[in-house]
Amino acid sequence: MDYLYHILVLAMIFSIFAMSLNLELGFAGLYNFGHIAFFAIGAYTSALLSLNGVPIPLAVVAALVVAGVIGAILARFTLGLTGDYFGIATLVFAEMVQLLLLNERDITRGPMGLPGIPRPAWIGSGPESLVWFLLVAGMGTAIVFLLLQRLANAPFGRALKVVREDEFVAQALGKDTTRLKTKAMVVGSVLAGFAGVLWAHYITYISPADFTLNETIFVLLCVVVGGKGTNLGPLLGGFAIVFFGEFVRFIPIPSEFSRFVAPLQGMIYGGLLIVMMLKRPQGLISESRR
Amino acid sequence: MTAYYLQLIVNGIIAGSIYAMFAVGLTMVYGVFKFINFSHGELITWGAYLGLMFTSPPFSLPLYQAAVPALAITVALGLAQDWFIYRPLRQSNPVSLLIASIGLSYLMRNAIRLFWGSDFQTFNLPVARGLSFGGIYITIPQLFMVTAAVVFLTILYLLFTRTLLGKSLRAASDNMELADIMGINMTRVTVTVWVLASVFAGTGGILLAMDTNMDPMMGMSSLIKAFAAVLLGGAGNVWGALVGGLFIGIAENVSVAFISPGYKDFISFALIFILLLFRPTGIFGIKGGVR
Repeated sequence: MDYLYHILVLAMIFSIFAMSLNLELGFAGLYNFGHIAFFAIGAYTSALLSLNGVPIPLAVVAALVVAGVIGAILARFTLGLTGDYFGIATLVFAEMVQLLLLNERDITRGPMGLPGIPRPAWIGSGPESLVWFLLVAGMGTAIVFLLLQRLANAPFGRALKVVREDEFVAQALGKDTTRLKTKAMVVGSVLAGFAGVLWAHYITYISPADFTLNETIFVLLCVVVGGKGTNLGPLLGGFAIVFFGEFVRFIPIPSEFSRFVAPLQGMIYGGLLIVMMLKRPQGLISESRR
Repeated sequence: MTAYYLQLIVNGIIAGSIYAMFAVGLTMVYGVFKFINFSHGELITWGAYLGLMFTSPPFSLPLYQAAVPALAITVALGLAQDWFIYRPLRQSNPVSLLIASIGLSYLMRNAIRLFWGSDFQTFNLPVARGLSFGGIYITIPQLFMVTAAVVFLTILYLLFTRTLLGKSLRAASDNMELADIMGINMTRVTVTVWVLASVFAGTGGILLAMDTNMDPMMGMSSLIKAFAAVLLGGAGNVWGALVGGLFIGIAENVSVAFISPGYKDFISFALIFILLLFRPTGIFGIKGGVR
């Protein structure tokens, strides 16, 4: 039972992360391949502050603010780029963040990572804390989902989709497209930071190895499989991919073959991305066109 | 002290000649098909590991013989990825192509881990003593790397400038639709581009593994360097990519004298970032406007 709770918490964290990416990728058409950087920034900011005695709620708020501000700065510099060039710039940004985390040992302890990240006292750390954390993660997921749903149905969300479909039309209709995209990136970054915060305080240990290109591909898969451009899609996609990943562990495999499991899982993830692009680029839940 | 800097520059030229080989293939594919092929990096890795497969039992070929079947299979992989994945996606959203190539890169990298494991491996070449030229050391494999790069790139130069096929390649990368209308055989162009890109990637991979070692991530890290070189030269510009590759190699190795080696990769990342923001047509800007 505890194991199921654990998977549920992981699925929720990744669903939040996937929904935040979807706001940029699905709604605004911004192919951000460095979204993991904001997950990492959220996790590291909150972890470092709370390890240095800052009360946890304050650390969390600070982490969200930092993620949002860095998101705005990145938006300021990269939004002039289009299509795949934007994707490369963001991917490179994430690699740079990872190198900083690895090399600024005085602050981040480099590859050793940060152990013993505190949790709020009322959640505690024993097995009974799982239920409480599940509650927190569940509430977080619900709030993020409802917030994004509201944004999607507001004029903001509709305007974003116009920008995605045809930037010139949006401009002709009098929309400030750069402003809209900047807003989408800031909100997306804050929410990715929030997912990172949950991750850091749930796992209680983070290291730069948790925030690599592999995780970017993982969350991209959640969005693409679920269906980009809807909020329900990435939510379900996050659950589906996390549960699939855990399910693979239970296939009875003789121990001498166990070293093949992780590469096979990776091959399936990669293959799934290709097949989705070839056969069903809109994902499981397709966006309704009105 | 001058010898120290000279040594760093020589190391940079050696690394740069390999980056140039990767960058040339990447930029050719970009020039004709207008997308960044992420799985180009995995062609590099596959070239090296196939070389390893044919040098170890049951084949146990010497490396120069093993390179032939290894490159043949790398070319087959390059053609297969175009035929089964990129060709069907050519008419759809360009980002679908990009995502598919990211997926393919991940698939191919994990296949390497499945077959050969994740550890560092080498060709088990005999340890060569460095040759000394007035205090600057170069090993035999390194000399070989530079020579091979020069030979390959010269052949490419002749192909591009002296043959009809080269002319049609240049036409296709200038404007694919127009080239098609003018009666240039696009199938032939497509096949040639993938064969050339795969051969350059595979050879570069084997050479790189000769000098250092191989691991499943080698393609990905080389790809980022190659991409920096491509941007430096202007996307789609083959000669720009060549000069760009050399520049990145030298910049990276000389930087070791000034900053912590942990930040060596930072140079190419920062270069990509700065170039994209301020000079997306490359510093040579012979062929501008492709953004």
